[in-house]
Amino acid sequence: MLWKMLKNDLLRKKGVTVTLFIFILLSAVLAVSGTKMVVELVRSVNHLFVQSETPHFVQMHAGTLDAAQVDAWAAADGRVEKHQIEAMLNLDGASVYMGGESEQSSVMDISFVEQNRDFDFLLDLSGNPVEVGAGEIGVPVYYMQQRGLKIGDAVTVDTGAFSREYKIAAFVRDSQMNPSIVHSKRFVVAGEDYEALKPYAAGTEYLIEFRLRDAGQIGQFASDYQGSDLPKTGPSVDYSLFKLLNALTDGIVAAVVILVSLVLNVIAILCIRFTMLATIEEDYREIGVMKAIGISHKDIKRLYLVKYVFLAASASLLGYAISFGVLRYFMSNIMLYIGNAPSSPVPSLLGLLGAALIFGMVVLFSNIVLRRFRGVSAVEALRSGSLGDAKPGKRRMSLNRAGWMRIPVLLGFQDVAQRFKLFRLLLFVFIVSSFIIIVPVNFLNTIQAPGFVSYMGIGRSDIRIDLQHSDNVEDRYKQLVEQVSADPDVSAFSPLVTSQFKVLNEEGSYDNLSVETGDFSVFPLDYVSGSAPANGDQIALSYVNSDEMGKKAGDTLTLFVDGENKKMTISGIYQDVTNGGRTAKALLPYNADAVLWYVVSLDVRDAGLIPAKIAKYEQDFQPAKVTDLQGYLDQTLGGTVNQLKMVTGLATGIAVFVAILITSLFLQMLISKDRNQIAILRSIGFGLDQIKVKYITMALILLVAGIVLGTVLSNTAGQWLVSAIMSFFGASRISFVINPIVSYLLCPLLLAVCVGVTALLSIKSVKEANISRMIAE
Amino acid sequence: MPAILEAKEMEKFYGSEKTERHQVLKNINLSVEKGEFVSVMGPSGSGKSTLLYNVSGMDAVSSGSVFFGGEQISSLPEKKLAQLRLTRMGFIFQHIHLLKNLNLLDNIVLSAYLAKSDSRDAVNRRAEALMKQTGIDTLASNDITQASGGQLQRVAICRALINRPDILFGDEPTGALNSKSTQEIMDILGEINENGTTILLVTHDVRVAARSERVLFMLDGALTAERNMGKYVKGEDDLKTRENELSGWLAEMGF
Repeated sequence: MLWKMLKNDLLRKKGVTVTLFIFILLSAVLAVSGTKMVVELVRSVNHLFVQSETPHFVQMHAGTLDAAQVDAWAAADGRVEKHQIEAMLNLDGASVYMGGESEQSSVMDISFVEQNRDFDFLLDLSGNPVEVGAGEIGVPVYYMQQRGLKIGDAVTVDTGAFSREYKIAAFVRDSQMNPSIVHSKRFVVAGEDYEALKPYAAGTEYLIEFRLRDAGQIGQFASDYQGSDLPKTGPSVDYSLFKLLNALTDGIVAAVVILVSLVLNVIAILCIRFTMLATIEEDYREIGVMKAIGISHKDIKRLYLVKYVFLAASASLLGYAISFGVLRYFMSNIMLYIGNAPSSPVPSLLGLLGAALIFGMVVLFSNIVLRRFRGVSAVEALRSGSLGDAKPGKRRMSLNRAGWMRIPVLLGFQDVAQRFKLFRLLLFVFIVSSFIIIVPVNFLNTIQAPGFVSYMGIGRSDIRIDLQHSDNVEDRYKQLVEQVSADPDVSAFSPLVTSQFKVLNEEGSYDNLSVETGDFSVFPLDYVSGSAPANGDQIALSYVNSDEMGKKAGDTLTLFVDGENKKMTISGIYQDVTNGGRTAKALLPYNADAVLWYVVSLDVRDAGLIPAKIAKYEQDFQPAKVTDLQGYLDQTLGGTVNQLKMVTGLATGIAVFVAILITSLFLQMLISKDRNQIAILRSIGFGLDQIKVKYITMALILLVAGIVLGTVLSNTAGQWLVSAIMSFFGASRISFVINPIVSYLLCPLLLAVCVGVTALLSIKSVKEANISRMIAE
Repeated sequence: MPAILEAKEMEKFYGSEKTERHQVLKNINLSVEKGEFVSVMGPSGSGKSTLLYNVSGMDAVSSGSVFFGGEQISSLPEKKLAQLRLTRMGFIFQHIHLLKNLNLLDNIVLSAYLAKSDSRDAVNRRAEALMKQTGIDTLASNDITQASGGQLQRVAICRALINRPDILFGDEPTGALNSKSTQEIMDILGEINENGTTILLVTHDVRVAARSERVLFMLDGALTAERNMGKYVKGEDDLKTRENELSGWLAEMGF
């Protein structure tokens, strides 16, 4: 009996059933996929770290190194299980060619290494340590993905004095430098190739690596290392940061997938509420009859609930099954970069839990809505046959006072005001749709705007010249400054040197701090709080540094300068998404022993001269990186911008699809619910067009309200959300740069046209509502 | 007097060739003169309401033709039919079909505002006059939940009359009312008819039909007989006598 009723009900309302099914299904697919992704990600990262024996603590060091000093220190420290020093041969991007193209414009720092013997293994795609023969090379997976490289392709190194072609024998998973947000990449070559290249490399950098017996002691160990006089002209990184960096990108994707799943589930639940209320309204008299003949409230509820339990169960189960196929797509990045952990039932079981959660939410909510049956009085139901969802007298506007407004339009306004509760679903969907479209659009526009440099810790200038560490870099830098200051085409310039200082931490030992020194007033930067340092006693911190140190503007910190501790006041906090977001700025003479890089920013008198100037300085100071502002942004953010463009397109597509689907479902059900009132309007002379105008007006009122609220929400909560995500990368206070034509005209217009056309098509059934049919029923 | 409403060989079928076609109206020929008050009687399921909705253009005839004011309306597009309903026809139903999110006055003036044939002030004055005439002038701003069945039916009458229609169609307009309200509503309809509005009613009630000029009898979808009752003049004619006369005739028809 129940099955027969269920079958009839499902067949009678095919459109609504299919729509609800799709929403619950999508929600389940995403919830299961997101859950599995998180679990797989954690397992894969752990597995990768076990296979490659990732170091617990790594100190980078540029310049000369006393290996014996490190060995002695490690031998004396009982916490150290093993240690090693890896020498990386740095190569200028301009001298490395992959797929025939030079890496000159790449932001990645390229290093050639030999496979490690003790730990920190560079793995191939099967999880085994890469072993390459002479003339062969292991290339980071990043390049395989970005440049579309295959095994057997050639990688050429040509420094001018040295030229060599290597054949790709493996792709490398590097537990330290895997993620694209890490701007250093290690290539593996054979011992003899390494030795042959050594004299021609742009410089050598060392990774001083430690594995500890107890990973719980990493913090104290790192602090002790920083407090020692061991080599440390470079940043230090520990195990937890490696893990975070590896998991970050995919972790954010998984979080977004779960979030989208929940939004879809909320939409599904609101749809169910609306559908149920409409069904109860339709069946009100029948419910009255059932109550009158003694069927209990519980049994009536069960009749209605069974449909939603069936719908939720089948959609969740199918969603669970589909997730096995979809997961491959979501996991492709994890599988490529991190690899697969050995199979285990845990992710599937937890995924099932995700599907059960979606099922549970739908059933629980349906139960709550169906509590309404308790309030149905048999007598009232039989007498009036209507739930009377419009409570008369509420928010009513007199027709006479409406003035200029056309009557169908006015009726539309009145209906929305009086039955607002009913329309919340559509309003919610329009708000969400606008939000989903506008936030990525605004963020894309922001990241592409020239002003985005202020989130990268640098002021706006026409040209930026970067000198990386090399043997004669100090001289070249001096020459560069001389040449720039003498250049008549240069209207302003600012030489900035980033060097490493020691900063006293809370434990009383020293940490390294990359401090940029120079004149910051030439190309000023926007500060989150406070301002640029104004004298030698002040220092500005990047957001990530201030956050980690727990310092704010006005606080003090102790810097080790010229052999003594110096108390510095924090003048301001700025945002910086470069170099892991950990930088500082001060007006100090730079620490010549520990220079990390040199930068000269300059403005030219005539913007037309920029390309010629770039070419000139590139030629004169080879291998310096000379870029204009847009070029610098493109290089640093190009990949992100392309990904964001894809996300924006996808988000717009999804938002429009959801808006169309729900508008169509909602209006069709509304027309069915309102057919008595429509019949009355028709009987007193309203034409079909006029009734359609009423419903289109209602849809558009909700759309306009949804877009306005969605836009406000995008520019407040959306901006906050983006800032929260970006604060992981060093920018805590993103302020959207809005293109009004796109955000305030084209996006709303796109939604309005789609919703308008859908509304027009969905309300065709108004012609089916007439008095004679109503009476016949 | 010229005919305001005419039906010629009108037939109505429900269902399709595929399912089962069911004939509801059979070869209906009908003529209602301007200013006339006509009632249609017959047993339940005889097709009275269907006849009313088909001659008023609310439903489409399956064959034959319907003329209103000399114009064939059975082939008019929906837009023109809506305009006719708005400006020249009025409807009253058995159940109270009012818009629940408008107050009583707004329910009355809505179609006049839509028609725009008069200013809103003029429409309001006319609505007030109609409400006074029907005895509900104190209820203007009430909700539909704040009035009795009889009062709501008067609102429906005012709404039907607000655009000064040529003809008023009634489908059991007193079917849901008690006898006192029925008498009052029929008095109002009588007055309206005296003022020149043609009335075509469908009813079961002999007391209602007794006030009409002519009574048509319907059986199994066909008009099988008619009786001319002569104009009822309130205060001069004895209603009871007319009711008895009509009852006798209906008994002859087997009703």
